[in-house]
Amino acid sequence: MNIFNIALIEFKHTIRDVRTLVFMLAFPIVMMLILGTALSTTFDKNIKIGKINVLYTEKTDISFSSPFHGFIKEAKKQDIHFKKAPHGLDGKKAVKQNHYDAYVVVTDKGVQFYGSERNSIQASIAEGMLSAFTDKYNLITEVAKEKPDQVQTVMASVSTTPGSYVKETSLNADKAPGSMDYYAVAMTTMIALYSAISASNLIRGERIRNTAVRLVIAPINKMEIFLGKILGSLALNLVCIMLVMAFSRFVFGADWGVHPGMVLLILFTEVFLAVSFGLGISYIIKADQGTRTILMIILQLSSFFGGAYFRIENADGILRFIMNLSPLTWAREALTKIIYNNDLTAALPVISLNLGISLLFLLFAVVAFRRREGL
Amino acid sequence: MNVLEIKNLTKKFGDFIAVDNMSLAVQEGEIFGFLGSNGAGKSTTINMIAGLLQTNGGEIKILDKNIASHSKLAKMNIGIVPQDLAIYEDMTAYENVRFFAGLYGLRGAELKERVEEALVFVGLLDKQKSLPKDFSGGMKRRLNIACAIAHRPKLIIMDEPTVGIDPQSRNYILTSVRKLNEMGCTVIYTSHYMEEVEEICSRIAIMDHGKVIAEGTKEQLKAIITDTRDIWVEVKNTENLEEAALKEIKGVNSISIEENVIKINSQSEVNNLNHIIQFFISRLIEIRSLQEQAPNLETVFLTLTGRNLRD
Repeated sequence: MNIFNIALIEFKHTIRDVRTLVFMLAFPIVMMLILGTALSTTFDKNIKIGKINVLYTEKTDISFSSPFHGFIKEAKKQDIHFKKAPHGLDGKKAVKQNHYDAYVVVTDKGVQFYGSERNSIQASIAEGMLSAFTDKYNLITEVAKEKPDQVQTVMASVSTTPGSYVKETSLNADKAPGSMDYYAVAMTTMIALYSAISASNLIRGERIRNTAVRLVIAPINKMEIFLGKILGSLALNLVCIMLVMAFSRFVFGADWGVHPGMVLLILFTEVFLAVSFGLGISYIIKADQGTRTILMIILQLSSFFGGAYFRIENADGILRFIMNLSPLTWAREALTKIIYNNDLTAALPVISLNLGISLLFLLFAVVAFRRREGL
Repeated sequence: MNVLEIKNLTKKFGDFIAVDNMSLAVQEGEIFGFLGSNGAGKSTTINMIAGLLQTNGGEIKILDKNIASHSKLAKMNIGIVPQDLAIYEDMTAYENVRFFAGLYGLRGAELKERVEEALVFVGLLDKQKSLPKDFSGGMKRRLNIACAIAHRPKLIIMDEPTVGIDPQSRNYILTSVRKLNEMGCTVIYTSHYMEEVEEICSRIAIMDHGKVIAEGTKEQLKAIITDTRDIWVEVKNTENLEEAALKEIKGVNSISIEENVIKINSQSEVNNLNHIIQFFISRLIEIRSLQEQAPNLETVFLTLTGRNLRD
């Protein structure tokens, strides 16, 4: 009961501290809004292709030329423009100089394709359509040789319009985070980490207010005080995080996936880690201002390298190593996998890591707390 | 019956001995005064009684129970009013008293009753929903007391409860101490204000350098002072006053000057009053009044320690 009463009073303290509450609630929401809006283009999943220009040279007989020209005609409807190379023009050089997206050489032996490295998407589309066309041509030619009466059936079964030459298939094509989705996760995990600051003041605050005296002289166990304070801090920070999540979900439309329980469990263990870390640091560094400064430096670096402010893509080497040191990276990447790939197995490593490190810091804090006279 | 009994109590901070083999007993129903200058060991002693500090030796008993082995029982019977305010500024007066009283196992209707009783006692019931940050210094001090008494302790320890407050609040608190005592509480009271201790305490211990150097009723303590007396001379001006010459008068131990009052401490057995008066007349210093002060605790303290209490 004493633990609950102490937890409740801790909860009330923080909830009545406007500055802390603004920091825990308004700050992540405002950051989400600013960064999610300002950097929305870097998360855009649509790429505008525009007109694709293909240069070609034809060295073939009439049997392939006719269907190839039919293909060119249909391709134009899809904004893929084939232009016959003027005599003497080096097609490959023209592509290298970025005058065309691809160069095609049609001979009796087959079709040779040279794509632009600069405009790789345009070149890939042209290549895909061209290879689909040649596959179909080869198929119909073979059928015509073996069973001419079946040609019409085969031709009917395969569409010859260029729009159907390439069918895009993507795994979870629509499940990738937009900017607001990304920053909803990033800011929530960041603010969970910032629980360390209030936690560093849990016991110290009682000493500063001198109320530690009343707690110590009361007929209760010191560990009840310790556990009550931690419980209150955990509860308050978890409520703040749930409010931020709810706001991002219902106001910004952020996607939190279909496993809210698992998402909350990961965030809870992250808060637990932050609270234990803050408490542990407050016993390692005795000076008030020193604790806060060190914590702020660690938290800011964790936030930065954890991708709270900017998404860091394709990081490797030393950068990846530094990123992996940030608890924000662990939590954010696990949450992304759970939300967008339904990969619940991603939760286990991060939960284990969070709880393991939390217990280490907590153990240190408990030993220091018990050895200390008073609180 | 002894409510508090201390035997050979010692506390060291490194090489510094804050409390040195101290022994005393406080009996039930007393208002026991602790006198001592800063660093005398009063607060350290109180902190050890309250369990805030570990002892380096000796024994403390509350209601005949050793606090080392009966810590919880001892704590249930103690209420502390710390020198520095120990209240939550962001909690209402009611919430403050309720929370701290709740730590003593009080619940439900009993808790509510005790909280209201404590708030009535300190005259803050009408302010129960207000935050202490909106209170005056005196009101905060009263709330500080309410938080210490809601669980009805048998022993209340008050450490400088009147520091920095207005005379009205001070009177209120002194009256409250007497009322608590009448209700059956034993009170240990420490203060820098000698007149407060003299006014309300039934027995007094004077501490210096971690030791109790004198203990007894105020009459018993004053009786210690038999060899000196204080003569206060109020003069029109002190321009022609030669302090060195005044000190040379036979029997004068020391002098101090506060505005136009010259305070002379002199040996009792030397009859030098005529010489002192002659000193002022010969220098054309007009005497407005002259009185011999009865010994008080300040004089006792000065005599025993060689220092003023507030040094």
